[in-house]
Amino acid sequence: MAQSRTRLPRLAETAVERARLTLVPRPRHQAPRMPFLAFVALVMLTGVIGLLVFNTHMQQASFKATTLETRATALHAQEQALRMELDTLRDPQRVAQRARSLGMVPVANPAFLKLEDGSTLGNAVPATAADAQRLTPLPTRRPASLMPAAPTVTPDDLVDGAPSER
Amino acid sequence: MPSTGRRQGARGRGLSLRRSRTARPAARSGPAGSGLPRQASRERDLARVRTASLLRLRIGFLLIAMVVSIFGARLLQLQGLDAAAYAAKAREVGAVQQILPATRGTITDRNGEPLAESLDGMMIVADPTKTKDDAAEIASVLEERLGIDYIDAVRNLSWPDPSVHFRYIARRIPSTKATDVVADLTELGYKGLDTERDPLRSYPAKDVGANLVGWINDAGNGADGAELLFSKLLAGKDGSATYDIGGGNRIPLGDNSVTDPVDGRDVALTIDRDVQWYTQRILRQTIEDVGAESGAAVVMDTQTGQLLSLADYPTFDPNGVTGAIDERLLGSRALREVYEPGSVEKVLTMGALLDAGRVTPRTRLTVPGQLTSSGMPINDHWEHGTIPLTLTGVLAKSSNIGTVLAARQLPPTQLSRYLTGFGLGKRTGLEGYGEQPGILAPASSWSPIVRDNIAFGQGVAVNVAQMAAAVNTIANGGVYVAPSLVLGSADTEFGPQGSDHAETREVISPEAAQQVTKMMEMVTDEDEGTAPLAKVAGYRVAGKTGTAQVAENGSYSAEKFVISFAGFAPADDPRFTVYIVIHNPQGDVGGGGTAGPAFRKIMSYLLQRYAVPPSGKASPQLPIAWQAGERRRQ
Repeated sequence: MAQSRTRLPRLAETAVERARLTLVPRPRHQAPRMPFLAFVALVMLTGVIGLLVFNTHMQQASFKATTLETRATALHAQEQALRMELDTLRDPQRVAQRARSLGMVPVANPAFLKLEDGSTLGNAVPATAADAQRLTPLPTRRPASLMPAAPTVTPDDLVDGAPSER
Repeated sequence: MPSTGRRQGARGRGLSLRRSRTARPAARSGPAGSGLPRQASRERDLARVRTASLLRLRIGFLLIAMVVSIFGARLLQLQGLDAAAYAAKAREVGAVQQILPATRGTITDRNGEPLAESLDGMMIVADPTKTKDDAAEIASVLEERLGIDYIDAVRNLSWPDPSVHFRYIARRIPSTKATDVVADLTELGYKGLDTERDPLRSYPAKDVGANLVGWINDAGNGADGAELLFSKLLAGKDGSATYDIGGGNRIPLGDNSVTDPVDGRDVALTIDRDVQWYTQRILRQTIEDVGAESGAAVVMDTQTGQLLSLADYPTFDPNGVTGAIDERLLGSRALREVYEPGSVEKVLTMGALLDAGRVTPRTRLTVPGQLTSSGMPINDHWEHGTIPLTLTGVLAKSSNIGTVLAARQLPPTQLSRYLTGFGLGKRTGLEGYGEQPGILAPASSWSPIVRDNIAFGQGVAVNVAQMAAAVNTIANGGVYVAPSLVLGSADTEFGPQGSDHAETREVISPEAAQQVTKMMEMVTDEDEGTAPLAKVAGYRVAGKTGTAQVAENGSYSAEKFVISFAGFAPADDPRFTVYIVIHNPQGDVGGGGTAGPAFRKIMSYLLQRYAVPPSGKASPQLPIAWQAGERRRQ
């Protein structure tokens, strides 16, 4: 190739040079690189920041859940304590003792008032103190073995010189 | 990355990120300068780029491979070589396993009032090695705040053995109280105290219904009564939670598995708490007043057989069952102990006789002062010569001799069949309370004296509920209803229990039941009956007294008695059957004078509480005695 080229007249050289066909490079539409890079950077940044935010949020939620759970437990316990107190207050024994301290006694003769004609059914007799009901057990008697006999002292027991108590 | 480098060679430029071409216009390389040296340089460029990029590629790959192999080695180490150790370590560091306790169900009365309920409790535990020096101060605070015994607390807080790091100080304290006290003590600078979960079972009504509700042992399991019987239903199923913890908070996205607990079911008894309370108080007072040993009372809803009350005395408080308590107090002795019912059983004999058509309430009997049966004397509870009594009179005055004379008209097999029908000699079906079936010998083995004794209630043994159900048969028009203690239905190891499953059967005809009822009304008659004190003013009340000698070592004791009263009201439309039994009263007391008033109080309370108005009708006055010469009317 190079030899044949040198034999050409000088004049034609330029023509030849000109006429030489070269491969036309394929036109390449190169996309501008900057936007693409910016986009990639943005995606990555968004991802990282998003993950960070998400994680922080999860942690926050976890803290919140813990405090709320603690509170729920405390409130539950409180509710139970209150219910227990209420049960104590509603204990029939206590109600009866309060009623008796107000001077009430259990019903002796149930009687009914008919609203339609004002008549009574049953014996409407007021209760008396005899109808009172003992609400507490009798105190248990101490067994005799725990009741020492009262000590008796005779004059002979008094030691000489001891002041005789009169 | 630089894979495009070779193609770029045409323009003699290697791709390099640092030399951005976008800044300049993409000019075609024009025919500037000679082609030849350009060509060569282009080749050179290209080669250089190729080798450089290849090198870079290799170094990159090598770096990546190194990093990845480090990861791989670590992975192998973690997963393959000492996996178990690491897993254990991880569990130790962060993972928490927590039991989620199921709440034990509540035992309520028929109106939903709690008889036993569960609360979150705590136990206070101490490390004596740390609390030793401040034992007295801590104990005084605990005594003041929680009411626990000072001496015990000091003993546990200053436990001498230095190897012991754990002592119970207080158990089953409501959790709010326990945590408050421990927090306050810690704030005061006392160390070594801690709280732990300790489920607390509370019996708000204390001794009310204790023998039926039962109690909970230290392990938290039902130990008696309904607590034991329905333990499967009540207990529920504990759940568990495993999760990773970091600094006291759950690690989000960490391991986390939760099995939810299944809470126990509630069980409702047929007991009415207030009726049970009142019954227990009346029973206690009655027993104390006559110096008796023990007793029981039962209230039965006539139509449904539901027990509104089943009271025992003496009883206990299930809130603090300790080892010191008498074992016998814990169960329901009303069901576990049998006794001879005595004269109350006469109503069953009368029912049988009337249903068999052998007698009428006006049947005339000539009652001698003493009757001999197989050489043994039978006496009445009062001295009398030969008296003319009607069958009604025999029941109203509770004559043994009269009852025997009437009952001899019925063959033993028939009487036995009736008594079995009334439920004697076999369990009522209140499973799980250790119910005793009582004793009713087979009719084939009845000697004449046994038959005579059984007619007036000696020689048979019953439990309280059994006898109440038998009398209730009369109240319910001759139809027996099995007693029940559970409202609705609940599964137990003995099969389903409860008022939904109450069996009924007709024992005597409604007419016979009606006649017995009218005869029983004469028992509370002011002039003729044995128990005028059992009458509720304004109401028609049917009842029967009982006084039975207690059999001891094969013969009847002279000073041990069982006194009782059974009855129902209103007699013209019975709603409640009440039965009271008192064992071994001191002195000369009978069923009418002692158990009668107790019956009246309980019945008055019931009629008022359930708003049962009197019908306003007067009791029919059946003749008690007869005179020779008057015309017999059947």
